[in-house]
Formats: sequence, structure tokens, C-alpha cells
Amino acid sequence: MRVLRVVLAVLGLAALGWGGSLLVPLLLGSPGDAVSLLAWLGGGPVLHDLLLAPAVALLGTVIVRALSPRWRGPVTTGLVVTGTLGLLSVPLLWRENSGPPNPGLHDRPYLAGLAAAVAVVWIVVLLCGVTHRRTKSSP
Amino acid sequence: MRLPKEADFTSQTHGPRTAARIGLWLGIAFLVCFVTGLLSHAIQHPPSWFFWPTRPINLYRITQGLHVVSGVAAIPLLLAKLWSVYPKLFGRPLVRSLPHALERGSILVLIGASFFELTTGLFNVAQNYPWKFFFPVAHYAAGWLAVGALLVHVAVKLPVIRTALTREPKPVDPPTGALSRRGFLRTTWAASGVAVLATAGVAVPWLRQVSVLAWRSDRGPQGLPVNRTATAAGVSTVDDTWRLEVVNGGVTMRLSLAELAALPQTTAELPIACVEGWSQSAIWTGVPVSALLRAAHASPGRAVRVDSLERDGLYRSSELPAAHADDPLTLLALRLGGEALDLDHGYPCRIIAPSRPGVLQTKWVNRLEVL
Repeated sequence: MRVLRVVLAVLGLAALGWGGSLLVPLLLGSPGDAVSLLAWLGGGPVLHDLLLAPAVALLGTVIVRALSPRWRGPVTTGLVVTGTLGLLSVPLLWRENSGPPNPGLHDRPYLAGLAAAVAVVWIVVLLCGVTHRRTKSSP
Repeated sequence: MRLPKEADFTSQTHGPRTAARIGLWLGIAFLVCFVTGLLSHAIQHPPSWFFWPTRPINLYRITQGLHVVSGVAAIPLLLAKLWSVYPKLFGRPLVRSLPHALERGSILVLIGASFFELTTGLFNVAQNYPWKFFFPVAHYAAGWLAVGALLVHVAVKLPVIRTALTREPKPVDPPTGALSRRGFLRTTWAASGVAVLATAGVAVPWLRQVSVLAWRSDRGPQGLPVNRTATAAGVSTVDDTWRLEVVNGGVTMRLSLAELAALPQTTAELPIACVEGWSQSAIWTGVPVSALLRAAHASPGRAVRVDSLERDGLYRSSELPAAHADDPLTLLALRLGGEALDLDHGYPCRIIAPSRPGVLQTKWVNRLEVL
């Protein structure tokens, strides 16, 4: 295992070095491009650690306080799946920076599609909660 | 209010057993993204040693479809992975030693590059660009960063991963949070599966109606999406003076559209497979490029430069490698689904070759040059 770890680490450092060297010319280009690139590279961890994860933790606490054990699981799963669908739809719904319109591309009714998918998710949540196996919760 | 401590997070959804299981699938998704991404990069910027086959005709459609679908599947996996290790963020002291500092640094690079790849990829397939940098170059560079930092991370954590994946689970306590460990894993798989279902229709025909967040439809002209319209390319319908030039050395052959249409035609079902992951099969009719090259007395085994009426633009010209130039299914297509090509699909004629990225299927062709 020691050899494997060393090999992985060496390959990883080499790939990091190569990726870094590819980024250098982009960072040395126009300052606007460099700022935009650094914001996108650093933005993920900051937004996740300071906003998304605390919000999820808070929501989890609310769910535990507000819902009976029977509904906690289905509702939490429903919220996670809904959130995933919501995130995926952002680039399709918020199009202030989109390229020129192209026939046959990003021209579906995304808001309606999202609503339909979320409705299906919550019907499944309801069914799971209602048909919750009682045998499992009894001792 | 105070900052939470690592020990404050008591939910079973945190910890190595969860992190290792989700990490395994996230690692597989990233590996698929990386390998298929490297392939797509090499096809578009081929090093001299690189060879890309013309068969199966759907090969690029599959590799690039996998690239995009595994990237979408990785979005909920990444978020769940980060949740499983979130308490670590509050571990103190912040830095214990130099190796510890380097490890935390590599994790910051890993998370930053991972978010970068998944978010810019998702915006790019939607042709939505809320940034100033050139996407293909940045996405390629950050792909190396993500995979490099991932390998370092696996090297550091390998003993923990092995223990977490092989040790017998302890007796299960009732969950203290909203979900049990198992419930959290099931939720993660469900979110990833739904994400795939909601988008994979861009490449998988039978999912087209299910994938409500697919970034393509069937509403393009002749049932096929268009990635660059004639208007955007500054191209208008040609008149009778248009000629296709086939250049071989010092000799130039000129053919009118009527002369091209009078040559023996080949009809084939071939996919347009975009780097943005969507793909669509269609019935194309035209003259095999290899037949035109023979008519120009070119010997087989030569690459061919394809030029477009488009005056500028990154993809106004492409190079057919010898394998594709010689393939009898590589067509200079005049017809799509039995009708003359729509102007947006490249009228008067376009290249359609098996197993190639859509950006290299040059439209509005006016010149072929043997290299």
C-alpha cells in the first residue's frame, strides 16, 4: 500500500503542476479575465462552506424538531432531490449571460418541466410517508 | 452564537464510512469525466501520436455523452461528499504541522477545482457564460488540477478509505439528525439518479421526453439542433456562381452544386455529436469525400483541410485526419432527411463524418484541400 500511495501522490503532484502551468497564461492575460477566473475557482468552496452547508444544517435541525420520525426521511430526501433539480435548472432559467439563441437548443419550457419533476418527487415523498412500514418502527 | 466545533456534529451522516462510499462513486464519476474530456481535447487538438477511430460511428457521441452525464451525476455526489466531511472544516488547531497544512491546501484546490469544473461545465452546456475567461482552456486546465488534487487526496487518505470500506459496521444507533447514515446514502444515490434522468435525454433518445432539464429539443430545422446559425456565422444562401474547390497540390478542381448532385450519392445514418453533450442521429445524403479526393487524383492516407464560407469564427475551418478522409461514410452532405440542407445546417454542403465532435463537422463548405 505504501508504494501505491507514493505513486498516487507523485502522479497527483505532476497533474497539479501541469494544470497549474496551463492556468498561468490565463491568469497573466487581461486583469478582468484573471479576476473572473479566480472568482470562479475560489467561489465554490466559499459559497458552499459559508452559505449552502450552514443552510442545510439549519434545515436539518428544523426538520428534526418539526416532523415526526416517520416523515423526516421522506421529506429530507424530497428536499435534497428538489434542491438538486433546482441547481441544475439555474443555467437554463437565468440567462442574462447566454450566447445567441440557437434553434433546437435550450428552448424547452424549463420552468414547467422543473415544476412537473418537483411535483413527481413530492408525490413519491407523500406515498413513502403514508405507506411507512409500521413493523419497522415498532420494537 | 459561537462557531461550531467538530464534535458538535453528531449526525451519522458525517464520518469516514459515509465519505468513503460517496467518495468512491464521486471518484469514478471524475475519472470518467477526465478520461472522456482528455479524449475530446485530443480529437480537437491532436498530438502527432494520437489516433481516433472512425468506428463505431457513435463513439464520440458515447464518450462525450458520458462526459456530460457523469459530470451531472457528480453534482449531488460532490455536495453529499462535502456534507459527510463538513465537521472537519471546524477541526482545531487549523494547522497542526507542515504536512497537515499541505493536505488542507490540497483539499482547498480539490474542492475549488471540482466546483469550477461542474459549475462551468453545466453553464457551458446551456450556452450561458457568466464569466470572462475562455471556457475550453480554463475547463481543461482545471480538470488537471481537480484530478491531481484528487490523486493526492486518495494517497493521503488511502488507509482511512480502506478501513471505512472493509470494516464491519458497528451496531446502529437511532439517527440523531434528519437522516440515518443509510438514509443519507440512499438519498444521495436518489439525487444523483434524478439528476441523470433529468438531463441524459440530451444524448439518450428514449429519455428525451423524461429529461425535463435537457438543454436541447427537437425544434431545430429538420428536427436537428443548430449550434451556430447562418446569421451568427454571417453566411447567406449561395447563388449559381458558387463552386466547391477541391485542391490537390497545384491542381484545383471546381464543381457546381448541380455537378456535385450528379455524382454518385451515398446515404447514411450518422450522428451529430456536440462537445456540449447533446447528440442526434440523422439520415444524410451526399458525395463521399474519398470519392472527391480520388477524382482530384489524391492518393489515400492524406489529411484534408475543410474551409467554410464563414469569414471568421473559431470553427470556420477543420482538418479531417487521414482515417476520416478515407472513410467511405465521411460525406460532403447535400441533403438531410431527404431534403436539401437547411441554411442553418450548412447549405449548400457540409461535412458529416463518423465519430467526430460537431464543431469539426464544418458547415457551408466551399473548399477541400489535400494536405
